[in-house]
Amino acid sequence: MKILGISAHYHDAAAALLVDGLPVASVQEERLSRRKNDAAFPMGAIEWCLEQGGLEPDDLDAVVFYERPMLKFDRILTCALRAFPQSWRSFPHAMKNTLGEKLWIRGIISSQLGVPRQKVLFCEHHRSHAAASFLTAPVREAAILTADGVGEWAAMTVGQGTRDANHTAISLFREIRFPHSLGMLYSTFTAYLGFPVNEGEYKVMGLASYGRPTMADAVRKIVPRTKDGAFRLDLDYFDFHTTAKRSFSAKFVDLFGPPRDPLDPIDLSTTDGQRFADCAASVQRVLEDILVETARALRKETGLPDLCLGGGVALNGVANHRILQESGFERIFVPPAPGDAGCALGAALYADRIHFGRPDREFPDHPFWGPSVESGELARLAREDRLGVEELDDPSLIASVAQDLVQGRIVGWMDGALELGPRALGHRSILAAPHTVQMRDRLNRDIKHREEFRPFAPVVAIEDADRYFELPPGGKRLARFMSGVFPVRPEWRERLAAITHVDGTARVQALEPGMAPRLYALLKAYGRLSGIPILLNTSFNLAGEPIVNRAIEGYLTFRRSGIDVLVAGQARVTKKALEKAA
Amino acid sequence: MFLLLHRWIWQNPERCARKLLSFAETEADGGRDLIRAAELTRDPLLRRLFIVHAAEEDRHADLFRARGSMLLRTLSSRTSAPFQLNWMSPGERGLDDLRVNAETDASLLAFLHLSEKAAAGHFATYVDALKDDPLTSQVFKEVLKDETFHMNYTLAQLTRVAPQNHGTVLWKARLGRLWKAYLRLMSAIAGVMGAVMLTLQYFVLLPPFAFFAKRAERREPRGWTAVPQDRDQSLTSQY
Repeated sequence: MKILGISAHYHDAAAALLVDGLPVASVQEERLSRRKNDAAFPMGAIEWCLEQGGLEPDDLDAVVFYERPMLKFDRILTCALRAFPQSWRSFPHAMKNTLGEKLWIRGIISSQLGVPRQKVLFCEHHRSHAAASFLTAPVREAAILTADGVGEWAAMTVGQGTRDANHTAISLFREIRFPHSLGMLYSTFTAYLGFPVNEGEYKVMGLASYGRPTMADAVRKIVPRTKDGAFRLDLDYFDFHTTAKRSFSAKFVDLFGPPRDPLDPIDLSTTDGQRFADCAASVQRVLEDILVETARALRKETGLPDLCLGGGVALNGVANHRILQESGFERIFVPPAPGDAGCALGAALYADRIHFGRPDREFPDHPFWGPSVESGELARLAREDRLGVEELDDPSLIASVAQDLVQGRIVGWMDGALELGPRALGHRSILAAPHTVQMRDRLNRDIKHREEFRPFAPVVAIEDADRYFELPPGGKRLARFMSGVFPVRPEWRERLAAITHVDGTARVQALEPGMAPRLYALLKAYGRLSGIPILLNTSFNLAGEPIVNRAIEGYLTFRRSGIDVLVAGQARVTKKALEKAA
Repeated sequence: MFLLLHRWIWQNPERCARKLLSFAETEADGGRDLIRAAELTRDPLLRRLFIVHAAEEDRHADLFRARGSMLLRTLSSRTSAPFQLNWMSPGERGLDDLRVNAETDASLLAFLHLSEKAAAGHFATYVDALKDDPLTSQVFKEVLKDETFHMNYTLAQLTRVAPQNHGTVLWKARLGRLWKAYLRLMSAIAGVMGAVMLTLQYFVLLPPFAFFAKRAERREPRGWTAVPQDRDQSLTSQY
């Protein structure tokens, strides 16, 4: 059976192709269109997936969209009615936005792909998240918790999944409905702190480490808990449900003070700068508390040792670490793409296992479902620009790159198939030595052009992880796809200064040799030369651009930035060669 | 007369600052699109030129951003962005309305040439209009130098890649720009008409439904809502 999953229209459009229950291809539209967070109908991603599977649209048995458009429209219209008459400005915008394209998904898919309308299916948004998390995890039974901004109506769900060879079930017990949403709460603070919503949430998390949760009580005031252990947002403090222009109200500003102008830099030595950091720390603390308590109750209710987390909120690695430590779950599974992009895969899996009742298949436990890099392409480009290029076998290449890293060079590393999800997990990474603050500053200044308070992540071989990081039981699983933030052992912090955040933590990736064998070999080679088998691993992109996909994109990023060495497959080019050619 | 109008537009420091910041965004977007063009072309010389061009767009973005931010910081109080009059004093149009993937090298060069030429004309006017603000005027002078180079190299390359028909390609690009301007205008008019109709419907048709929606909301339980196990889980439903 051949099933295509699609997510689109809000953020992170993507497509995924399943053949006989196993993924063949999955990619985010932004990686092909090169527009960051591209939400457009993912025609490029669909075409690439079909090509990868050697299929024509006619060959598909079903096309599954990751949410139910009419139910979503119901929510948008109902919210406009509830906010009458304050919603008068946002109503025309919301209607034009929805009625233009988003409501007619069946027709769009049918006409764009030329498939019969009855082959187009719809999976609820949070079921797609739940499926993306549970059906990709190596577990037979687990509790499920999903949380994001909003899907159709649900913004958070809890439930349970079970599967064996013949039967798969995902049962959602309860949901918290829009506008009461942890994702919207975090996004509101993201906007208040002057960062772009849906993109700046990482910045809030990074900034939180510089503050103290002195305003946690004020945050709790706007997110009171309900008697049944849930929460609600006090809507007097929010505006996102009445207007698309502003997410917080005047009362919110009275409580927390004036918002940050996005144009003003954050200066932590000033009172205002510290206030913003404290504000970030406070919302982070309250978010963590709610998630931990919800997970703890779910653990009691299900009695299961494993938890699958899904939805954009599952990208909050600090919260994930606390859930693992305090909720009672022994293992937590977060997929590499817990956000909407992963829903394309989740919706396709849900259709295969549950709608069509197909037997369960063991899901390959890695994120590499995108296009592969061609080393020949880099060699061709370098020759066209009269640059020296080396094409080496694996041992020589790894030895020379390890040497580059030891000598303080920054390496653009492209290997195999592209990752699905927001994290570079070893196939499209910028690698560097993790030892000094100077390296962190150089990366921020010359390559990533981002705020100095944002940390960089380390990658370490799985068997070495405990030596350098305080991983609790179950921590290595969480660190598989860089989904948890853990303390760096105090004795190593000084020697791992480039990846140790101000609070002594790091978002670790613990790498198994089978997942990315060449990066694993590089880590070991670097360890032999430097004494510490850890590398700084950040996504291979520049500010405002998506992660690179093809060799040409890596090559142009290399040319425009402070990256010293570029490796794509077996080919290696250095800046020295570029300088010589110039 | 035209100059007087521009002097008036640019004399408000906050408007001036916000316009510079929006120009910065457009230049940065243009830079990204040029990188996309460099990724797509099979012509090594064009690729190198597009990279240089993109770097200059990024530099322009930095210049506009720095000056705009500096102006904003000097203001004692800021309002919520005064009307910017963009249709009267536009920046570089950028490649916003161009699908780089769908263009050939020749059509892209023609589009770039015309965009740069138009932008150079606007920026020359702003240099004159900003005589009383030498720092901002200097920013436009610097950008203008690069625009002249961009204008010239795009034309030279167009002649190289389409030696037989570069004139035709240029005319097609001119017509394309006109058509896009028409479409922009018409969509703006349609947008306004749509907004008026929907706002009328909002106030005329919606009040009774709003009453019932509010009443239903008051009856909703707080906190968790149980998911009915018999809820239609068939994937054929859109509801």
